[in-house]
Amino acid sequence: MPPKNNKGGAKAKELSEAKQENDNSRPQTVFERAQAAYDLTRPPYDKEREELGGLHALSTVEKTAYANWFCTGSDELSCLSKKAQKELWKQVNETNRPLRRGQIDQPKPDQWGKDKLGRNIGDYTVPQYEQRIEKQAQLTGLKALGRSFASKRLYASKGLVDSSTGERYILTEEDIQAERERRKEMAALKKDLYGEKMGSYSTDPEWDDIVPIPQMEPEGALAAIAYPEDYAESMSYLRAVMAANEYSPRCLKLTEHIISMNPAHYTVWLYRFANIQHLDIPLLDEIEWLNGVALDFLKNYQIWHHRQLLVEHYYPTISGSPDEVKRFAKSERAFVMEMFAEDAKNYHVWSYRQFLTRKLGMWENEEHGELDSIEGMIDEDVRNNSAWSHRFFLVFSNPRYATPESHATEPDAGVPADVVDREVAYAQAKIQLAPQNQSPWNYLRGVLVKGGRELGSVKGFVEQYVQNLGEAEKEEVHSSHALEQLADIYEEAGDKEKADLCWKRLGEKWDRIRFGYWEWKRRSMKTAAASS
Amino acid sequence: MENRTATTADTGVDEEVVSQMADYATRGSCLPIDNLYTSEPPIVDPLVTATSTAQDRTLDQCLPLLKAADSNIEYNANGVPRLHRERHIKYLEQTLGNLPAPFVGADASRPWCMYWALNALSLLGADVSKFRENLIVTAAHMQNKTGGFGGGFGQTSHLATTYAMVLSLVIVGGESAYEVIDRHAMWKWLSSLKQPDGGFHMSLGGEVDVRGAYCAAVVISLLNIPLNLSSDSPASAAGLADLHTGLASYVQRCQTFEGGISAKPDAEAHGAYAFCALGCLSILDAPHRIIPRTLDVPRLISWLSSRQYAPEGGFSGRTNKLVDGCYSHWVGACWPLIQASLGAPSQPAQNSEFCSFYDREGLIRYIMSCGQDHSSKGGMRDKPSHRSDAYHTCYVLSGLTSAQHVVSAVLAEEEYVANTAWKVSPYSDPQLCDEQDRLNPTDPVYAVPQKKREEVMTYFLSKPGF
Repeated sequence: MPPKNNKGGAKAKELSEAKQENDNSRPQTVFERAQAAYDLTRPPYDKEREELGGLHALSTVEKTAYANWFCTGSDELSCLSKKAQKELWKQVNETNRPLRRGQIDQPKPDQWGKDKLGRNIGDYTVPQYEQRIEKQAQLTGLKALGRSFASKRLYASKGLVDSSTGERYILTEEDIQAERERRKEMAALKKDLYGEKMGSYSTDPEWDDIVPIPQMEPEGALAAIAYPEDYAESMSYLRAVMAANEYSPRCLKLTEHIISMNPAHYTVWLYRFANIQHLDIPLLDEIEWLNGVALDFLKNYQIWHHRQLLVEHYYPTISGSPDEVKRFAKSERAFVMEMFAEDAKNYHVWSYRQFLTRKLGMWENEEHGELDSIEGMIDEDVRNNSAWSHRFFLVFSNPRYATPESHATEPDAGVPADVVDREVAYAQAKIQLAPQNQSPWNYLRGVLVKGGRELGSVKGFVEQYVQNLGEAEKEEVHSSHALEQLADIYEEAGDKEKADLCWKRLGEKWDRIRFGYWEWKRRSMKTAAASS
Repeated sequence: MENRTATTADTGVDEEVVSQMADYATRGSCLPIDNLYTSEPPIVDPLVTATSTAQDRTLDQCLPLLKAADSNIEYNANGVPRLHRERHIKYLEQTLGNLPAPFVGADASRPWCMYWALNALSLLGADVSKFRENLIVTAAHMQNKTGGFGGGFGQTSHLATTYAMVLSLVIVGGESAYEVIDRHAMWKWLSSLKQPDGGFHMSLGGEVDVRGAYCAAVVISLLNIPLNLSSDSPASAAGLADLHTGLASYVQRCQTFEGGISAKPDAEAHGAYAFCALGCLSILDAPHRIIPRTLDVPRLISWLSSRQYAPEGGFSGRTNKLVDGCYSHWVGACWPLIQASLGAPSQPAQNSEFCSFYDREGLIRYIMSCGQDHSSKGGMRDKPSHRSDAYHTCYVLSGLTSAQHVVSAVLAEEEYVANTAWKVSPYSDPQLCDEQDRLNPTDPVYAVPQKKREEVMTYFLSKPGF
């Protein structure tokens, strides 16, 4: 039994090998297939002759057969006698080989060219190649449809009549949508087949009429940026529409796209605003979009100028309705607070808030006033100087009493005494939370100056932070800012020695990094004394 | 510094001496570093807020560097790292070359990239003339026919990018660079930006702020642009006499109750705008006349002086904000102008204490330790947790040169508004930096090499009108 099995096994193996050989001999690639076709159509013995290196290597029979075949195709055949011709044909028939003349050129491995990845297409497998051919056919079909779309659009624009139907050509929204889809398909095919990148604008029929202005960087340009393709294409369309002074919904979308890639592009922002003006885009639509952008790009400041322009532009439309102004003020504050949750000292957001306060009249005495919100921010972080700075503006620029052109470092007789009292008390309460916090100290001084009060009016308060000055071991200072203020209080009162001691101790111990400044204060006072 | 010795008795309890000695031992050959720069300030409030947390984090990253405790860094005998001059030069030259796609965010500020790199290269003593030809073609490409330069080809003209491009052309210098600029179109464009309130829009439809005031004053004075307004200027319609009219009072409205200067009226005092304000005024008239006339100088000095923190030694931009290397310039460069505002121009007081309102040692320590990228990348930075960039490289180095040189106004002729002469000479007292780490001096108002500023002004003074 075993031998039989063995035998059977060997047979099976032989069979499978033969099959494999058969598989291997079948053309796998495009080139192999072409080569096989060529071989099949070659003259008898031509392949053998070539492979063996010449006619001389063939057997006598083969030589005869080859020579006979050669003769059947030549003019010399007619020179032979009828009998000889008959004999020739007889021999030809006996060899039983086809009489073909090799209509197919010998294939070259690179004749199909290369694909987008540089691969030789001749090396494609047959199914791969067939797929490629199919895509090319698809593309050709789409191009033809695209051409008929273009003609239809042209005819429609000229108001021509379709002679087959007797109706005017009309380009419908469906036509445009179909063309848009078609271009997407074409772009995908082109990219797939040839690696050709078609930008989102060049494939969009809506932009067909625009000839983009690409950025032609001069040779050797400094700090030249290798732009991402998408950005470069969008910018070249932007330059074109800007040059044409176009204002349209598509331009608005274009600016949106560019801003998403480079929000620091001031030109795009200014152009966007011009579009909004021309198209009269509703304020709230733009604000809603802007909020998202602002939260995506926290550090960007063009956004805030844009927002300011928007408010300037739309304010006249709501200024007649106090309710609308109030509503808008509240929603703007809510968004600004959202920004401050990310960065409570964002300079540009604060500047916008100051603009908004003036524009919408959000002063402390109004129902939609800012004071509560600012107090909340100071409670959150008593060292937030931006919040303190805004409070000062709220209180001392309030048009209800503030003198319009009063300088920030000058007294303003318009400010009521109770406001000054309130602010002095507020600053003092906050100083107590953290006496080495400079913000409320600067604020306190600012309030006193605005209120036309002497610095000495808060002497008792300041002194609690400075004890036994100049008395070596017993000296206690809980705030260098208190000590600085104390020096100014003494100087104001003409107590030069005490003022000098404060500055001396500041420079020696309590605020040494500002030594040069304290020394200058000491010298200035002495010089002033000497000259008076 | 000399003035520190007197303080040892007060602060130097034995414990501190011991800890200083310990530092000294670990750093080998370094001299002891004053504990002003290595330990927390004498008064710290216990209350924790977002501001104090951020400040603590900053100290954590700065102190090891300030203590000269990083063994990977080469320190000199004063415990100050060396200036990585060659690395910075290489870094800057790269930023002038081709930039990869992630730089697309800088597409609207390429003239800035050029100015930052060229100015920093000149401070470092590198050759910038090799960039002249390429700068000229780049500039021509970015200039608009309607006047001014945009951030790139086809972009709207902007005062900031125009300022940066003009300064770049001034830095490489030479007639062919100057002649790129269309002065007549520039004049018309500047006229169109001038506002009835005296300020300048940064661009048509753009914001009005104190940067605009400075950038406009710089461009007008460097190029000798005629001051009269074009007939279509909105300021002309409002009855303003010329490009300078109302500019000083605009700057004045930007001073705040804190004493510092804000970007625009009503906003918060900020270091960068303080420099713009003082720079603008110093162009309009001699500093000793115009600055006291326009601003509350004692309050401004007090506020400026508060910008320097210990132990960091660097400047912050606003009250209760963190130190940042770039304010080495924005705040640092205010000091010579403040100095000049205090007295009539005279012979410079050489190396006296009088010249130092701020702590030069602290600033130099911050710049060299914390403001430098010590890796092979090079460049300067905001603080140790930040990456270096061209902006910081320019302004941190500008700050360093101002800390290394005495600058004083020596002469203010009455005829021309823009020709206060400045004498710049090295501090000759013992330097913290080694001599080979000294930078080239810079012009205190224009922030370009002084010689280059003089050359361009001489060139255009010979060209009245267009």
